[in-house]
Amino acid sequence: MRTSEIATLPVVTLAGDDVAQVKDVVFSADGGAVAGFTLAGRGLLAGPLKQGLSWHHVVGLGPDAVMIADDSALEPVDTVIAAASSTSAGAGSGGNVLGDRVLTDTGSDLGKVSDVVIEYDNADGGPCDVVGYEIEASDALKASTSKGSKHTRLLLPLPDTLAVSSEHVMVPASAEGFVSDDLAGFGAAVQAFRTQLKGGS
Amino acid sequence: MQWWGWVIVALVVVVVVAVALVAVQARRRRGGVIVGGPGPADAAGGTDTGGGQP
Repeated sequence: MRTSEIATLPVVTLAGDDVAQVKDVVFSADGGAVAGFTLAGRGLLAGPLKQGLSWHHVVGLGPDAVMIADDSALEPVDTVIAAASSTSAGAGSGGNVLGDRVLTDTGSDLGKVSDVVIEYDNADGGPCDVVGYEIEASDALKASTSKGSKHTRLLLPLPDTLAVSSEHVMVPASAEGFVSDDLAGFGAAVQAFRTQLKGGS
Repeated sequence: MQWWGWVIVALVVVVVVAVALVAVQARRRRGGVIVGGPGPADAAGGTDTGGGQP
């Protein structure tokens, strides 16, 4: 699932009340998991809310809504972001990653982040894992992919721990070999990439 | 100018202001993907990513 599919989803309680809508997805770089969401009001003229939603208060995440038990699950947005900050020490941190340049640890520019891919299983209720970036591929990356330069938007698998600043996101150079243009098969690419990283360390 | 001319001008002004307000709010509500940490995201508690583009 792409984070762009989550933005603007309504936040609904199990009693059926539509209390807010998702604005930003907040993730912690260390562990590469979604920590929560910032929220906006539901009305046409409603702006961002001072309240956010931590991931551990999410009961279910589907294509049409984010489910919570009741509106007591909402908490100050600073708390949500601080919770993500406390787990991302040492991994770097920054603001919005959309638009950031993707650099490998060998200094190659792979392109610009256009979306973030997450993985979540409603059945096990576990963490919501950040597994990849959708990137607007650089010319160098397009030229190096085996399928040539047909697609400008490619999916790049990520390791468990991410390095992010306000301008760049860093990925291992070996990620370039697992770039995919197919979301359906992307899970396998992520698994293979992470297995290779663990084998190499 | 006839009286109805002023009415039309007033209506146009109201519509333009309403469209501008909705556009501003839509921009404020547009989402992004932010990384927890002492970056620009948590400044002033408002957490407005300004539309998700640099």
